Amino acid sequence: MTLTVSPPAPVQTPANPPSRPRKAVPVRRALAYLLLSVLSVAVLVPFAWMVSASLKLDADVFSVPIQWIPAEFHWENFTNIWERIPLLTYLRNSVFLSLTITALQVLTGSFAAYGFAKVRFPGRDALFLAYIATIAVPWQAYMVPQYIIMQKAGLVNTHLSLILLQAFGAFGVFLMRQYYLTIPDELCEAGRLDGLSEYGIWARIVLPLSKPALASLALLTFVNTWNDYMGPFIYLTDNKLWTIQLGLRSFVGLYDAEYAMIMTGSVLSVLPILVIFLLGQKYFVRGIATSGLK
Amino acid sequence: MKRHLVPTLAAAAALALLTACGGSGSSDQPADGAQTIKVALWNYATTPEFKAIIDGFQQANPTIKVEPVDILADDYAEKVTTMLAGGDTTDVLTMKNVIDYSRFGTRGQLLPLTDEAKKLDPAKYSGLSAYDLEGKYFALPYRQDFWVLYYNKALLKQAGVEESKLQNLTWDGYATLAKSLTKGDGGTKVYGAYQHTWRSVVEATAAAQTGGDLLSGDYGFFKDQYSMTLDLQKNGTLMPWATASSQKVTYNTMFSTGKAVLMPMGTWYASTLLADTKSGKTKVEWGMAPLPQRASDGKVTTFGSPTAFAVNKNSKHSDAAKKFVEWASSEAGAMAVAKAGVTPALTSQQILDTYFALPGVPNGEVAKQAFKPDKVVLEMPVSDKSSDVDQILTEEHELIMTGEKSLDDGLAEMSKRVKSEVR
Amino acid sequence: MATTLSAAGTGRRRSSTWIGWSFILPNFLGFAALTLVPVIAALALSFLDWDSYSTPRWVGLDNFERMIHNDTFWTALKNTAYYAIGHVPLTLCAALGFAVLLNQKLRGARFFRTALFFPYITSLVAVAVVWNMLLSPDLGPVNQFLRAIGIDSPPGWTTSTTWAMPAVIVASVWRDLGYYMILYLAGLQTIPAELYEAAEVDGANGWQRFWSITVPSLRPTTFFVLIMLTISSFKVFDLIQVMTEGGPGRSTLVLSQVIYREGIVQGRFGYSSAVSMVLFAIVLTITLIQFQLQRRSER
Repeated sequence: MTLTVSPPAPVQTPANPPSRPRKAVPVRRALAYLLLSVLSVAVLVPFAWMVSASLKLDADVFSVPIQWIPAEFHWENFTNIWERIPLLTYLRNSVFLSLTITALQVLTGSFAAYGFAKVRFPGRDALFLAYIATIAVPWQAYMVPQYIIMQKAGLVNTHLSLILLQAFGAFGVFLMRQYYLTIPDELCEAGRLDGLSEYGIWARIVLPLSKPALASLALLTFVNTWNDYMGPFIYLTDNKLWTIQLGLRSFVGLYDAEYAMIMTGSVLSVLPILVIFLLGQKYFVRGIATSGLK
Repeated sequence: MKRHLVPTLAAAAALALLTACGGSGSSDQPADGAQTIKVALWNYATTPEFKAIIDGFQQANPTIKVEPVDILADDYAEKVTTMLAGGDTTDVLTMKNVIDYSRFGTRGQLLPLTDEAKKLDPAKYSGLSAYDLEGKYFALPYRQDFWVLYYNKALLKQAGVEESKLQNLTWDGYATLAKSLTKGDGGTKVYGAYQHTWRSVVEATAAAQTGGDLLSGDYGFFKDQYSMTLDLQKNGTLMPWATASSQKVTYNTMFSTGKAVLMPMGTWYASTLLADTKSGKTKVEWGMAPLPQRASDGKVTTFGSPTAFAVNKNSKHSDAAKKFVEWASSEAGAMAVAKAGVTPALTSQQILDTYFALPGVPNGEVAKQAFKPDKVVLEMPVSDKSSDVDQILTEEHELIMTGEKSLDDGLAEMSKRVKSEVR
Repeated sequence: MATTLSAAGTGRRRSSTWIGWSFILPNFLGFAALTLVPVIAALALSFLDWDSYSTPRWVGLDNFERMIHNDTFWTALKNTAYYAIGHVPLTLCAALGFAVLLNQKLRGARFFRTALFFPYITSLVAVAVVWNMLLSPDLGPVNQFLRAIGIDSPPGWTTSTTWAMPAVIVASVWRDLGYYMILYLAGLQTIPAELYEAAEVDGANGWQRFWSITVPSLRPTTFFVLIMLTISSFKVFDLIQVMTEGGPGRSTLVLSQVIYREGIVQGRFGYSSAVSMVLFAIVLTITLIQFQLQRRSER
């Protein structure tokens, strides 16, 4: 690494000012805990319902009044679901799609964002606006034209169609651009003086500094792809290509649904997200604090 | 540390690519020159009649191979619309309901089957006329569901009510009976009846039995049926509509766990009950009776809707596809459907005997009478206005049932909106 | 903010154009072919009559005229605006508040952060059932509490035309809170601690530091969150579809539902696109205003 200039901007350390241990106000802290605890219960209640429903028979899921603890625990739901649907195939497809789309979105998004945030050229803002403008159109409106393009390209009923569709969205570009704006231009200038090309500046200065944003972009893209239902539903017909969300919907029939199975599957499908979330947390919370700049 | 993220992501992508192998491409044409037709249908694994029809057809036509294109039931029509917009060539399309059918038919997306339809006897196919689009037919029905009254035998016996009492029930009789069957409180309450949240439970019943026209924009004929339902809801015989709707209560829960004694519902529910009894998911002893009537002249009028197969205009194997559609609605197809525990479009004594011979199907006079209604009226008339009217009626139904609008205001609003908003 | 490659000469400008495009191109190719083109096509459809199959027919402004005279469109437009006005500020404040709170060295912060993200990944059906249960008019704990504190006729929430929308807004804030909190957490990492230390030396209290340092430093993040929130609340679909299906009556019917019903369900793609066009115009206007405000504040 050739970058030896000390950055003009202050070295970045975690921003947690009101929490200096010596200054902690016990009452305020207690209040914060109380608030958070109440809230945590509130946010976890539907999840608890989901887990409880996953251990019931279909007919007992929507009992009125709600039965929080199942009368009998049907643990076999968690084994039966593997026989009812090819869950392993669905999970593998979901993992493949989510990882590929996330990786591409993060790479191309952060790359394009540098162009929007740190390079000035005519038409830049108009182009950026076009990006945002497309987010403003609901997918319900352009679903059919998009499908026709894909059909013409012969990509319908392949994973590639979904990858192409979702990997180049405007969301990542927008998010990363906003984050890059907070990185002082002086850092880039210093890189330039050191003889780095713009690509070098992106790779060696800007990218390492934007780990928190990259991590949150990756997390949110992953979750959104993982939970996407309409995209896979429209584009994937072959059962072997289905994702977990399609698998779960296959328990919804013409007139009724097997809700216990749906909830069992939902619980299982949350687990990978949870793992990713727990792993990713350290990036968007501690972020650049530990590595920072040399 | 700082550059780990990019390689990690790249590695993840590569890894994912590797795991992706397999799962593309479908079986090609068999070498012996046999044809393969694709049939768009829903929930193949849990809808037994599809497999029954496909197996039966392949046996009768060994040179044609049928490949199901499995689509989720939930948004079936939307997916088919999108596929066809893209020029999809799936040969046979299942028509989930007649409103969807009329949309595909009038857009010219289906192959005419008028000649084939003329060969069928309209007296035996009560659902056939629903597919008449200005003299042309684009689909043939293979299945016909209609509404009956389900009842819990054990609970009825407990209350000392004879099953034969349900044979000639009027709605007034139903209301009185349901009220007397209501017992208990809170979590252990048993409702005398359960009427699901759908508007058809009230509105299609009223239309069928009074001869009212659901598209007319004049809805005075709903009044008796609504008053009865609202009264039952008020005196606690029915679960409040608002609770049932917001808690997403399923009719299967209400009936099969013994929370309700009587339940008007379509014949499709019988196949669910048969399957659930077989797999041990429910132990409810159930029976079927004719739908209660408005008039007490002993005639049974109910409502229902048929399901049909149609041939895609873009099909590359249209002859084979037509063969499939014809077979499914034929006597042989109907037998296969009946054996799967589902009510076929074709009615004949032989079919009825086949159905009632299935293990678990309630026998006896009441059930058999339930399966021989004098008249089955189409649940919703087919027209280009149907879905707009349906939307308005659904919205106003919610307001009447939640008590946000009085019955008279609600009915007046329905008429007003249908007349002004539907062109 | 000053920009790095100042346009010193035309040659420099041309090369910066090349460089800029080279960054954007990999993403732009996919974006243009698969998002931009269909979006433009969809918007163009608003001047056509198209059923997804037959040849489209030019109808000029007919679709818009029908829309203006359609009661359902205006109801949905009002409901959508109502939803956005409730959802945007509440979610923004809650997400920012919890991000600041959980960026501290609180014990268990990791657990709370995870918990707050849970609603976003919980099955929508579970969300709908539990919220409807909590808000149930007769049996729900919320109304039992309201009765206990002396409110005789508490609202009917999702079964009442007046209260269904507030109920949906509360549930949606609850659901989205964790999502935007993640974005704020990332934004908070960019604020140099020295700023706070200096402020502390100057004797600023926590509240003052929040307003004079945290809020201004988070401006680019807030801009992003604000625009994404505005857009997503104008496009809201899933939660309402599962929680109330637009009901009771049309009290929670929103524009996306109209677009979906009219388009893919009914096959009136021209009309459906006309409604999308209105939605698009509204969101774009709001975005442009926010853009201008942001620019002004940057100077």
